[in-house]
Amino acid sequence: MRGSSFAVEARQLSRDYVSTRRSHLVGKKITTVIKALDRVDFEIQEGELFGLLGPNGAGKTTTVKILCTLLEPTDGYALVKGYDVVNNAGEVRKIVNMVAGGERMLYFRLTGRENLKYFAELYDVPKKEVNSRINTLLELVGLSERADDEVEKYSKGMRQRLQVCRGLINDPQVLFLDEPTLGLDVNIAKDIRKFICEKIVREQGKTVLLTTHYMYEAEEMCDRVGFLSKGKLVAVGSAEELKRRMPSGFSMEVLVTRLSQEAFEDLQRLKAVKKAIITDYEGEAEGEKVDRLIINVESDQAAPEVLNFMASRECRVVSLNIRGPTLEDLFMYFTGEK
Amino acid sequence: MFLRAVLAEVEKEVKIFFFSARTLFWTLTLPLGNGLYLYFFYLPFAARSVNLEFNSATFSLDLVGFTLIGQLLYSFFTMMLLAGNTFVREREEGNLEAVLLTPANRMAVLLGGALAGAFNYVWLLLGVAISWVVFLNAGIIVADPLALVLSIVLSYLSLVALGMCFEAFFFHSRRGIMYATALQEPIMFLSGLIFPLQSMPSALLPLSYLLPLTFGLISVRLTMLGGASMWDVAVPLSVLAAMVVVFSALATWLIGYAEKSAKRKATLTQF
Repeated sequence: MRGSSFAVEARQLSRDYVSTRRSHLVGKKITTVIKALDRVDFEIQEGELFGLLGPNGAGKTTTVKILCTLLEPTDGYALVKGYDVVNNAGEVRKIVNMVAGGERMLYFRLTGRENLKYFAELYDVPKKEVNSRINTLLELVGLSERADDEVEKYSKGMRQRLQVCRGLINDPQVLFLDEPTLGLDVNIAKDIRKFICEKIVREQGKTVLLTTHYMYEAEEMCDRVGFLSKGKLVAVGSAEELKRRMPSGFSMEVLVTRLSQEAFEDLQRLKAVKKAIITDYEGEAEGEKVDRLIINVESDQAAPEVLNFMASRECRVVSLNIRGPTLEDLFMYFTGEK
Repeated sequence: MFLRAVLAEVEKEVKIFFFSARTLFWTLTLPLGNGLYLYFFYLPFAARSVNLEFNSATFSLDLVGFTLIGQLLYSFFTMMLLAGNTFVREREEGNLEAVLLTPANRMAVLLGGALAGAFNYVWLLLGVAISWVVFLNAGIIVADPLALVLSIVLSYLSLVALGMCFEAFFFHSRRGIMYATALQEPIMFLSGLIFPLQSMPSALLPLSYLLPLTFGLISVRLTMLGGASMWDVAVPLSVLAAMVVVFSALATWLIGYAEKSAKRKATLTQF
């Protein structure tokens, strides 16, 4: 055990994946090394809800798996409540739990209650507390009435709520939530977010690390966020701190048609424009493909200059919206990713 | 905590196995059909005997009993190989990470899986044994019931321990079932399952004596069909007891090594 004043601490955390394949059945082996995490440093305070954001393949799940002892780092180290996740893995397992979205981690032929009882036994939850803890958790997530039905009869949302119960069955001090709302419909995802914020963090004071690629989710829930891009942690801080690090506090969202690459490059040279990014957008206007531009501008007075530029290049502006930067804008600004 | 995890695993596996009343019905009734099949299969061999040489003595054993004990213990061994796939099954069902996230002793989980496997299939063995006794009247001569019970228990425990070693071996393999299948025929041959060991080429005998099934077959056959006493089977029983200890220790080390290796190579969820 090392001394650490943080609930979670990662230093120079790195993880490579080595993949070997053959060109054909008896061909020569080809080895590829993928750097999933590259010297990542961050820490999470006690009782904090920290978000790790990034697109698929950014290294979010790798980070979580290392922190909950399911994977070893290739370099660097991580501490959970002062325990090293490799050398004190047994101690770490007693005080953490993990909920993953879109994964099974439940026995479908057992009832919800039987699943929780099984995991309570594996976590050595005091015998006297097992039943009351299971009932409390089922009540909290609204599954009491279906507790004695087999999980295979549950809807996707109910299974995910049961997963949350499984994640809390050992009353963990640190909870890892790896895309917990993945694939859930809007209302259920909202309920789960509310449950995590209000019950797990605010009421029970647990430390939570949430990974997500839904920016609005992180914006709604997290005290601080870290942006992961291609295995590197490019920025960490609260949304307010990160906004202050942007050169301007305004973002312009422009939906436009007929935008050529040359026009886009020239747009970035305008005096009012600090940075411009084209993001994925699926839509058409009068049969023409629409591009979505996020433009970081000096002030909210930049609109006329941008509009004049668009008109001079015969681009048709479908809509223009000036607002303070969202977490998505911050992410794009810091990572340069769409 | 160890015992709690074992019992939790047994309870879970049994509940999953006996998921419906239909499963329970067929699990209880099919073995009786299997017993009837064996009856007609072995009827032509009734009242014949086979000589088993052991410890400078020759025991004349009922041929049907000799073969059926071989079949029963072999079924048990196959079951242990399958039980050895507990973690592989968990991985295929998407639950391995949830189990490994817990601080539960891995050996407890494995042992629970193996014991549940024994419980789930014990009806098959009982069904066959009952059919055998009732229909075939196959020359049972038990002089020392305690020696017989000890032979069965130690055979079972040594096979469980060996099954757990295989489990560790299968842990990070995508080919667990293939290896298990590949092992079946050589073990069937080497253990003296279908013929007495004295018929085995002497060069292969050292391999036979590495298998707990070999000693299990000797001690159960002698105590059940040959009227052997505890003293007569002291050697195979001692070897079986030693194998329980050695294989359990080996399995504990192997499973720890396999888990660490899988986490290092990131193969925990690959299959």
